[in-house]
Amino acid sequence: MRRRVVITGCGVVTAAGTELEPFWNALMAGTCFIGPVRHFSCPGMEPLTGTEVTLPEEDAREEDARGGRCAQLALAAARRALADAGLASNSPAAEEAGVAIGTTLGEERQVGELNDRWPASGPDSIDPGFFSRSDNHRLATLVARKHGLSGPTLVSATACSSGNAAIAWGYELVSSGAADVMVVGGADALTRSIYTGFLRMGALSKTICHPFDRRLDGVSFGEGAGVVVLEEMEHARRRGAAARAELAGYGVSNDAYHITAPDPNGEGTVAAIRQALATSGTAAEEVDYVSAHGTGTPYNDVAETKAMKAVFGERARQVPISSIKSMLGHTNGAASAIEAVACTLALRYQGVPPTANLEEPHPECDLDYVPLRGRSMRVGTCLNLSAGFGGFNVCVVIKRAP
Amino acid sequence: MSTAREIGRGPVAVTGVAVLTPLGDTPDSLADALRDRRTAVAPVPDLGGVGTAAIKDFEATRYANVRGLRLYNRPTRLGICAAKMALADAGLESAPLPKEQVGVVLASTFGHIETLLEYDRSLVTAGLQRTNPALMPLSIPSAPGAAISLSFAAKAFSVTLSDGGASSLDALGLGARLVQGGRARACLVVGAFSACQDLLRAAWRAGLLAPAADYRVFDRRRSGMALGEAAAAVVLECLEDARARGARPRALVSGQASTFATDPGRLERSLRRAAEGALKGAGLSPGDVDLVSAGACGSRDGDAAEARALAGVLGDTAARTPVAAIKANLGDAFDAAGLVQAVAALSAMKSGRVPPVAGLEEPEVPGLRYAVEEADVDVRHALVTSISYEGACSALVLSRPHDP
Repeated sequence: MRRRVVITGCGVVTAAGTELEPFWNALMAGTCFIGPVRHFSCPGMEPLTGTEVTLPEEDAREEDARGGRCAQLALAAARRALADAGLASNSPAAEEAGVAIGTTLGEERQVGELNDRWPASGPDSIDPGFFSRSDNHRLATLVARKHGLSGPTLVSATACSSGNAAIAWGYELVSSGAADVMVVGGADALTRSIYTGFLRMGALSKTICHPFDRRLDGVSFGEGAGVVVLEEMEHARRRGAAARAELAGYGVSNDAYHITAPDPNGEGTVAAIRQALATSGTAAEEVDYVSAHGTGTPYNDVAETKAMKAVFGERARQVPISSIKSMLGHTNGAASAIEAVACTLALRYQGVPPTANLEEPHPECDLDYVPLRGRSMRVGTCLNLSAGFGGFNVCVVIKRAP
Repeated sequence: MSTAREIGRGPVAVTGVAVLTPLGDTPDSLADALRDRRTAVAPVPDLGGVGTAAIKDFEATRYANVRGLRLYNRPTRLGICAAKMALADAGLESAPLPKEQVGVVLASTFGHIETLLEYDRSLVTAGLQRTNPALMPLSIPSAPGAAISLSFAAKAFSVTLSDGGASSLDALGLGARLVQGGRARACLVVGAFSACQDLLRAAWRAGLLAPAADYRVFDRRRSGMALGEAAAAVVLECLEDARARGARPRALVSGQASTFATDPGRLERSLRRAAEGALKGAGLSPGDVDLVSAGACGSRDGDAAEARALAGVLGDTAARTPVAAIKANLGDAFDAAGLVQAVAALSAMKSGRVPPVAGLEEPEVPGLRYAVEEADVDVRHALVTSISYEGACSALVLSRPHDP
């Protein structure tokens, strides 16, 4: 028998806030945080549009001298999740815990800083710290070292489904008995490759992203991190920790279709959802809310709409599906982890967040995308969808705590 | 796996094996070279003579002919070639499984870095409009894994683990769990590493690398590591599926565990926990271990901690259990290293010959039986261990399958 896995703590650092309640309230109000980027620039692309995180002084200070912006965001979200779970650093319960962090871009900015010196210094611009600073494993090991966690440390890179993938691997380890507690999530900073790459591919929005809207013309990017604490149900009960939700299972698939473009029919998404439902023992009828990947590109949003119809059939129009990327921008590997936190809060507050900037639906997007404002409603089961550049799809099932 | 008896679909078998190393491009040719104490570590003249081990005259098209190969960087091409050979070895080229039933776990921390450096540098030196837009999708950490799964149409999953020197053994553990959990019928676990010029220079400037002439592992006089280039791949399937399709199981992945040492003083204890966890998962005791394929790489802290942890875990049987350490011959191929160690262990399981630790004259930690010239060792269970630069400790147990 697989062991049951619950979420006992959540942490986010996003443009919409770095504490759970203000974050949730901002989402429910439909506040779009996408605007001019002030603390990061990209040559030939000024001004950049996106979202940025303003970290409180204590987190900004926390930036390990050996870590970059991505690690800083991961550390800040992990600290919040551990506090929310009531797991004190270096406590016996924490000591056995492991870490799994997903990332799309990792510490890419280390490469940018090196290359900025390149025209003047050539090979001398390669500093002694570059080798270890470009090792993305540190996104997990810095968290583990800071909090005294000595279980497995994984960094999972599956492009923009990385956060959900890290959650899935945490679930594997906890449900199979290899770990009792896993601190899992995703983190990404704004980088040059993602902005310039999407610009050149014509996939970057010229204004702000409009998921599922007639005006959808591409992605807006953001930075952030989301982390949840996964814990074996009895382990949580024994230490008196409240279960915020149950992580009931996950599904995975890979398009193997193209290095960047998703399968236009969303077949991989359908496969991942069906596997997630089957392995978590969830009937499609039970699903109350779907957190969409919803990037604001025609490719994704139309394919995702088709996938919803394939999975839910007639009922597809009755299942609310929304994209909080409309407010936070696409935070790459962090996105699905932040969205997992949003699903957990949807269970806590009994409501679903909206798709902002959605005024007139795209002709091929005809579902209930919860436009503009959040909605109070009964929520018992959420699906958290994610898809990655390169084709890797992960769907996670988050249910009301048992 | 740690709870193999309680969940999932029974034991997981290795049904296909491949390596690409400076000392051989088949498990057998590598085993012969190791037995002959050949070492591939050679000095890099313009970096003060530090040691690296590179694959000479690598031509990807000799091994694989897949679309896009020309565009991919060297570690990606190495990974594709190893994956291709492992699939062939498993008999899955001539009789492929449905695409939806094949997954990929790639161990890659640095596989994208050369392409990222090149792409980003062109932004700085040539400007946005003169960069090659086709490079960007290949410059992110998941790109080598996406390329491999695209090459073989693996539609079950495509995962990249970037766990530094722990990547390979973590990938084997995750791949085995995913197969056991029914997420795929077959999983390709691939590791590939090739240090581009900038990464090599960074490692040199960080003082991580030993002069080639002084490169030793486990030895009192060790003075650092050598970077090695390699790729390795295995195919994992549930034993019952493998037997049902008539495939020959080479070994069982019977246990895997990973831990983290929060400071260097805890490396020994941490690796010990990992090894004990892997043995417990396999339902074995330390006395059952017939061979250790260790990850010693010349690191001051790591090699000593690994040797002490092994002595502690093996206890009374430490004096009779041979310990091999093939990074002495091949350098440290980071993302591929654990898989290459596993392949060497599989070769020993097959041949009964354990490769000697090249260049080891004065072991720093006594009490272990560092392999010298070992023949006729009956390897039923092999323990594969490693300690990463970041302090991640991993252990894997491979077991010889019983006859059906």
